[in-house]
Amino acid sequence: MKTAATVKKNRSRRSLSNTDRFTLTAFVGIPTLLQIILLWVPAVVTIILSFTYWNGVRLKDIQWAGIQNYKNIFVNNPLFYQALKNNGTWLAFFVLIATPLGILLAYQIDRGIKGHAFYESIYYLPVVLSLAVIGIIWNFMLQPGGFVQGLMGLDIGNAISIWGNPKINTWVILGVASWRHIGYIMLLYLSGLKSVDPALKEAAAIDGATEWQIFRKIIFPTMQPVNIIIVVITLIESLRAFDLVYIIYGSPTIFPLLNLLVFQNFAGQGISMKGAAYAVILLVLCIVPIITYLRINFKEDLK
Amino acid sequence: MSEEKNVVSRRSVLKGAAIGGAALATGSALSAESASAATRLKGSTVKWTTRGGGATGDKIAKAVNDAFTKKTGAKVVAQQVNSDDFQNNFAQILQGSPDDAFGWMAGYRSNHFGELGLLADLTREIGHLKSTLPTAAIKGSTSPVTKKPYILPTTYYPWALHYRKSMVKDLGMNPESINNWDDFVKLMTLTQKKGLVGYSLGAKGGWEAMGTFDILNARVNGYKYHIDLLNGRAKWTDARTKETFKYFAQLIPFMNTNFMDISWDGMRDLLLQKKTGAMMMGSWFANDFKAKSQADYDDLWVVPFPQINPKFGRDTIDAPLDGISVAANGKNVSGGKALAEFWASPEGITEAVKAGDTNIYVSKSFDTSSYDAFNKQKLAVLASASNIMFFLDRDARGDFAGPVVGPAIQSFLQKPSDINKILENVQAQWDALPKN
Repeated sequence: MKTAATVKKNRSRRSLSNTDRFTLTAFVGIPTLLQIILLWVPAVVTIILSFTYWNGVRLKDIQWAGIQNYKNIFVNNPLFYQALKNNGTWLAFFVLIATPLGILLAYQIDRGIKGHAFYESIYYLPVVLSLAVIGIIWNFMLQPGGFVQGLMGLDIGNAISIWGNPKINTWVILGVASWRHIGYIMLLYLSGLKSVDPALKEAAAIDGATEWQIFRKIIFPTMQPVNIIIVVITLIESLRAFDLVYIIYGSPTIFPLLNLLVFQNFAGQGISMKGAAYAVILLVLCIVPIITYLRINFKEDLK
Repeated sequence: MSEEKNVVSRRSVLKGAAIGGAALATGSALSAESASAATRLKGSTVKWTTRGGGATGDKIAKAVNDAFTKKTGAKVVAQQVNSDDFQNNFAQILQGSPDDAFGWMAGYRSNHFGELGLLADLTREIGHLKSTLPTAAIKGSTSPVTKKPYILPTTYYPWALHYRKSMVKDLGMNPESINNWDDFVKLMTLTQKKGLVGYSLGAKGGWEAMGTFDILNARVNGYKYHIDLLNGRAKWTDARTKETFKYFAQLIPFMNTNFMDISWDGMRDLLLQKKTGAMMMGSWFANDFKAKSQADYDDLWVVPFPQINPKFGRDTIDAPLDGISVAANGKNVSGGKALAEFWASPEGITEAVKAGDTNIYVSKSFDTSSYDAFNKQKLAVLASASNIMFFLDRDARGDFAGPVVGPAIQSFLQKPSDINKILENVQAQWDALPKN
C-alpha cells in the first residue's frame, strides 16, 4: 500500500523534464563518481592494506598480516599513546578555549566595539597564512639561536628548551595553532552574525533580556547552521593537525601526532602498512564523532 | 658486511638465485648491446638528478655532465632536487618516471630498492671501475642478498670526534692525543668547568644522536656485534647493549640541556662559537668553518672516537658511502649506466674536483696531494679504521631505524633511567617486523 508521501514523491519525480534529469545526473553523478574514485576507493584500499605487510613496491610482496599492524601499534609503540594524548589535548584546547574565544571575538566585533575594524584585521591576518608558514615563523622566533632567544641574550648553548621541552611544548604549539584558529572561527562566526536579523535582538532588548540571554536564547540558536560548521571544523582541524608540527620538528618523534605517524610510516625508506593502520585509526576517530554529531543535529532539524 | 652473508635465509637465497638467473638471461643481451652502446648513446638524452648542494652542486653537475656529453655525444638534462624530499619520496619516484641516474646512498638505502628491482644492476659498470676502487668500497656497494651492486661508490666522509685545537690547548691538553675514554672525559670535564658545554649533541631530528650510539656500541662491543644488533642477530635487551647505553648515559651530564631543540646545525654553531668541547659528527660541516674564516677552519680538528674496550681499540668508524645509482625504470637505462660510470670514473672525478667538489672520493685515482691539514687528517681518520659502518639508518632496515631506534634514543636521552623498558620495547618492535 502506497503512503501519501511516496505518492507525492513519485509524482514530483515524474514531473522532471529530460533536461532536468540530465542536469541532475550530471551535477550529482560526476562529483559522486569522482568522490568514490578519488576518496572512497583509496580509503577502502587503505583499510584492506592495514591488515597486510607490504613495502609499497611490488604487489606480489603483499602478505596477509591479520591484526598484527594494529597489535604492534597498540601494544608496542609508545609514540601512539603520546600521539593520542597530543591530538586529544589539541582537540580539548580548541573546543574549550580557542573556538569559544573566536566566537567571543566575533560577537564583540559584530557589536561594533571601539576599534573593531582594527581588531578584525589583526585577528584575521594569521588566517591568510598557511600553517606551514606559521610553523616557519614561530620556529624562527623560538628555536635556540632564534629571534626571541636572541633578545633574551641567550646563545645556542644555554638557550631555553622550548620545542624539545615536554612540559611546555604542548602549550606553545597549541598557542601558535590557536593564533590562526581563533581568527578563522571569528571570521566564520562573524559572517553568520551579519545575517542575523537585528530586529530580533532589538525585540529581545525591549522585552528586557540581558546581553547574555540575547546571545544564549536568540543568536546562538539562529546561528545553528554556522555552529555545525564550526564544530566540525574544530574537530577536523584538531585531529588532522600535521603541517605546523612537521615544519617545526621535521620528525614525528618529539611531539607525535597521528598524522605524523601516518606520514612517517609511508614516506622514506621504510614504507610499512603500519602507516595504513594509523590512517584507519585516524579515519575512525574523525568520522565517528562527526557522523554522530551531524545525525543528532539533522534529527533535531527534522523534528 | 661479511657476517650478513652467513645468515641469509633460505628464502632470500632462492630469491637471489631467481633474480640472478634473470640477470644472467638479460646479461647476454647486455653484452650484445654494449657493442653498439657507444653509437646508441650518441644523440640520446640522459636525465640526471643532483641531490641538494645548491649552486656548488649545480656547478659540479654541469662540469661532469658537460664532459660526458663531450666524450659520448649524449645530451644530459640535469635538475637539482631537495635532498629530504627526494629521500622521502624515493620509492614513489622510482616507480613513476625517474631520472636515469642520480646521486644516492650505499647500504640499506640502495640495496633495498635494488633487491626490489627498482635500481639497475651495475655489475658491469663496477667491473669496468674495478682497478680504481678499493675492495671495501665495492663490497659496501654490493647487496649481501643478491650479491649485486646497485650503486657506484664515489664519496664518503667520516663521522668522528670534532673539536677546536685552540680550546683543547687552553685546557692544558694535547689536541693530538685524545685517545681513550679517560682523555675524553677529562676534556669534557675541564670544558664544562669553564661554563661551556662539554659534549654537544642535537637530537631534534631523531637521527643525529644515532652517530654517538653507533660509535659507542662499536667501541664497547665491536663492529660485528653492532651490525648483528642492527640486523636482528643480537638482542637489544642483551646486557652488552645495555653496557653501551651506560657509556651513553655518562655523556649526558656533559651535554647541552637543550639537545632536544637543536639539530646538527645547532651543534656546528656551538663549535663555531667556541661554546663546546667536543662533538661527534660527520665532517661535512667543515666547509661552513671555512666560509666563516680561514682561522676557524685551521683551528678545527678531527680524531677517531676514543677507545673504550681495548679489545676493539679504535678499529671501527661510521663512514657513510655515497655514489651514483641508476633507475631501473628510467627512459634511458643504458645511458644512465654510462653516465653513472662516468661520474664514478677518474675522468668524472677530476671534473668534479675542478668544479669545486671538496668531498673525499674512494677512487684510488683521487689525488690528495693538494689536501690541506684538516682534509689529510680526515683521510687519516678514515684509514685508521679497519671496519666501516654506514651509519645506523643505512645499516638497518628503513622501517626500523627511523621509526623505532630514533625515538628510542630520544626517550633514553630524556630519561636514561628508563633504559631497560625502552630497550625491551625496541626489541618487541623488531620482533613485530614482517620478515622477508
